[in-house]
Amino acid sequence: MTLELKKLAEYKDIMERCLRCSMCKWIPQVQIKSWKYAQVCPSIDEYNFHAYSGGGRMIIALSLLTERIGYSDELLNIIYRCTSCGACSVSCKYLNDLEPLEVIEALRKKVIEDGVGPLPAHKKYMQLTEEVHNPYGDTHSKRLAWLPADVKVSKNAELAYFVGCTTSYRRKEIAVATTRILNKAGVEFQLLGEEEFCCGSPILRAGAEERVKSLIKRNIDKFKDRGIKKVITSCAGCYSTMKADYPRYYKHDIEILHTSELLEQLLKEGKLKLTKKVPLTVTYHDPCHLGRCSEPYKEWHGQIMEPISLVRFPVPPKPIRQGTYGCYYPPRNVLKAIPGLTLIEMERIKEYAYCCGAGGGVKAAFPDFALNTASRRVEEAQDTGAKVLASCCPFCSTNLKDAIEANKINMKFYDLTELVLMAMED
Amino acid sequence: MIKDNEFEALEKIVGSQNVTRDEAILDTYAFQWCAEIINVVNDRPPARYYIRPAAVILPATTDEVQQIVKVCNQYKLSFKAFSTGLGPWNCVSSERTIQVDLRRMNKIVKIDVKNQYAVVEPYISGAQLQAETMKFGLNCHMPGAGPQVSPLASATSMGGPGFTSASTGFAGRNVLGVELVLPTGELLQIGSLGLKSGSDWYSGDGPGPSLRGIMRGFMGAKSGIGIFTKVATKLYPFPCEAKWEVTGESPNYEFHIPNYLKFYIINYKDWDSLTNALRRFEEEEIGFMCYYGSTAAVCASFAKSRQELASQYAIHTRLKLPLTIMMAAVSEREYQHKQKLVEGLIEETGGKDYTPKLKIRDISFAEALRCLLGFHGFLITGAFQSTHGGMETIDMAARMAQLNIPLKRKFIDKKVIADDRGEGVWIATYERGHMAHCEMPTMYDSTSSESIIGMTEYSHACDVMDLEEHLAIPFFIEGDKHHEWYGPHCMNYHIWLRKIKEAFDPHNIADPGFYISSKVQS
Repeated sequence: MTLELKKLAEYKDIMERCLRCSMCKWIPQVQIKSWKYAQVCPSIDEYNFHAYSGGGRMIIALSLLTERIGYSDELLNIIYRCTSCGACSVSCKYLNDLEPLEVIEALRKKVIEDGVGPLPAHKKYMQLTEEVHNPYGDTHSKRLAWLPADVKVSKNAELAYFVGCTTSYRRKEIAVATTRILNKAGVEFQLLGEEEFCCGSPILRAGAEERVKSLIKRNIDKFKDRGIKKVITSCAGCYSTMKADYPRYYKHDIEILHTSELLEQLLKEGKLKLTKKVPLTVTYHDPCHLGRCSEPYKEWHGQIMEPISLVRFPVPPKPIRQGTYGCYYPPRNVLKAIPGLTLIEMERIKEYAYCCGAGGGVKAAFPDFALNTASRRVEEAQDTGAKVLASCCPFCSTNLKDAIEANKINMKFYDLTELVLMAMED
Repeated sequence: MIKDNEFEALEKIVGSQNVTRDEAILDTYAFQWCAEIINVVNDRPPARYYIRPAAVILPATTDEVQQIVKVCNQYKLSFKAFSTGLGPWNCVSSERTIQVDLRRMNKIVKIDVKNQYAVVEPYISGAQLQAETMKFGLNCHMPGAGPQVSPLASATSMGGPGFTSASTGFAGRNVLGVELVLPTGELLQIGSLGLKSGSDWYSGDGPGPSLRGIMRGFMGAKSGIGIFTKVATKLYPFPCEAKWEVTGESPNYEFHIPNYLKFYIINYKDWDSLTNALRRFEEEEIGFMCYYGSTAAVCASFAKSRQELASQYAIHTRLKLPLTIMMAAVSEREYQHKQKLVEGLIEETGGKDYTPKLKIRDISFAEALRCLLGFHGFLITGAFQSTHGGMETIDMAARMAQLNIPLKRKFIDKKVIADDRGEGVWIATYERGHMAHCEMPTMYDSTSSESIIGMTEYSHACDVMDLEEHLAIPFFIEGDKHHEWYGPHCMNYHIWLRKIKEAFDPHNIADPGFYISSKVQS
């Protein structure tokens, strides 16, 4: 069984079995704690028509596949006004066995194969990624412009810090904090510098699977050429792409870690000492791609049994990706280890966290939708009473900061690494 | 199907972003759970798509709803409203019909703690309402369709049984004041809400004749008598400690079970013992939940996968007629008392406590409180619908359940519905045993034409049985065709129903597809 994303037609049975129950619009029902924070899908929250939900997109995909509808600008908007955060899948799969997120991804793949997608904003950043190796179109030779002169970088360490495009060009403070922490903890690492290309996430999320395959191979080969055995990244998007998506297209044995996982490990080993008080009340936003979307795909070999008439199930059971094993505890454990810091949780957390609104090509193509979603998330953070919103992803960071600024909210945003650095002795 | 000037009139009401005639969006409103069965009933191919609406509109206020209805009257367009929108009865039944999606009307207007009621708009889900009322130590009746559906829709427009019916009644019994936009666009306030001075939501009746029966009757009008924009629904004391803590990650959630909550699955060897037990448990007012669900239903309710369901079903062959009781208390003393009472009743009624033999996870308690156990029915084949659906007495329910077994087995033998030994039944009691509701959850394969057609035939055979055996009026006697068939056998009720429709909707503007037309259709 290949792990590659299947063709849309192969999901027909799944699409036909959608109940239109709308579970995909809500957080898992047993987790609902209030009226205000019961919903989980940013897209339906913004646009309201059923088509903008996980289930609605499955129906649209079926309609398109069975030629009940044809392509239109509105249809493309519906397909791409989705952060592909995967929350719909988590809620659906709590009791059901459909795959709304995979259908959305297969739908995007189809519109590209049919030559009608993606949207101009996506085409632009895909082209830039291929030309200058980052979706922003920034100068490739300045990829390490953030690197302070006093940070020690090894040339041949087995550990590499994969900085990622957004951190390199837009959220440099995360790169600076990460490298300083590694230095202070005595962890040797290498940087790929100009040999670091985009991880491919933006292209993959837009549905251009074929265009990203060579980039994936190139990146893995580059790690191998440089003797890299372990990669850490401070970007959730890079993390899920390298950890969950790369093996679907090109098998590798390189260990992929998020900085939060390494920091937790260093704390346990006593190599990271957090001694300075950071008297802040913090709430933590789970990035979708560090959490529910980071679960690796697993192969399944078995058969469908029908021991009772019409009751069919796979034997052995098929592995189900539903956010169970996302990276939820390392960032929290690190935050809890910071002296003086108080962590307060939002209502929607971990596998049912509300998306920041930036992913899936939304920030590029629909900035207002992205900002509105981030505003909802920041409001939830504010409702906890925390004065600081923290997360572990430069893309979430950008969007959430934009919302804090746009709404003139008295709240600060810090990346986890910035808070850790504050807690370390000079 | 909708002309430009008609569409523009709708745009003026809600803004261009809240109304659409885009075919892709419209198609998502034609697709519905069980629409394939309705299609077969209406001699159409067994597809999940029913009829595409002419447009979909998203009003945010009662005033906007009134304006939409007036535009529909002006241009002779029909309208069909829905709240959370689960089920084929939410579909439009003709092409010149506007689908009114009430999703933007999503407020809890009021929780009156002292007088124990809440006022909600259409797009409030049961889980949302329960989560908010729990903060005051209160609970609401949760629709049996699940916590994701609308209590307003359940209370005003559907049957509305639920797993907690033993203590919270059914949805129709929970309606207090109501705000309804009539098919003419006028606003009707029902019950104490309509008082000229001191109006409030506390009562659904009077002054003057109550309209509760007219607005919903047994199964509701499914938007065929107007658009419900607000409803007050009764609240009840939360049955146990009002604490809600779920930890872990999906699907491996752990519920920190509140104090004084306990499940009993009691096994009975024959129907007489079971019906006697249902009566006695209700008489003693012991169960927060009290219902009979077949062995297959019990196994499905507590299983997390089809594989687990199949293995449990194979193991529990000795579980014959299981009665499910959820016992709840608010103090240790009450808990001890109730526990003794349950144990005494088990002995008295000849049951055997089967609970220790079942694997009941902590999270099943949360699913029970939140009314999610029934949704496990979808696990079995991915598609289910109930047949029959009578609401009458415990005796009727037991008779219906037994009569149905051989009929169901015929269709099981044809392999068009899933094999539950023909015993798949849900009997929920109400109002301390005075009433009971009985339906036959049946699993089929919605991707197989053969199974869909077989399920439709079985469903029809159940309706015929209700008639021939003088059982209760079933769930799906909806629309002109069915009422014309059933009415003459039941005191010509359809003539009176049609008169009500005509009085409230002389131009047949409110989609009559799942209700009745104001004039006899040729």
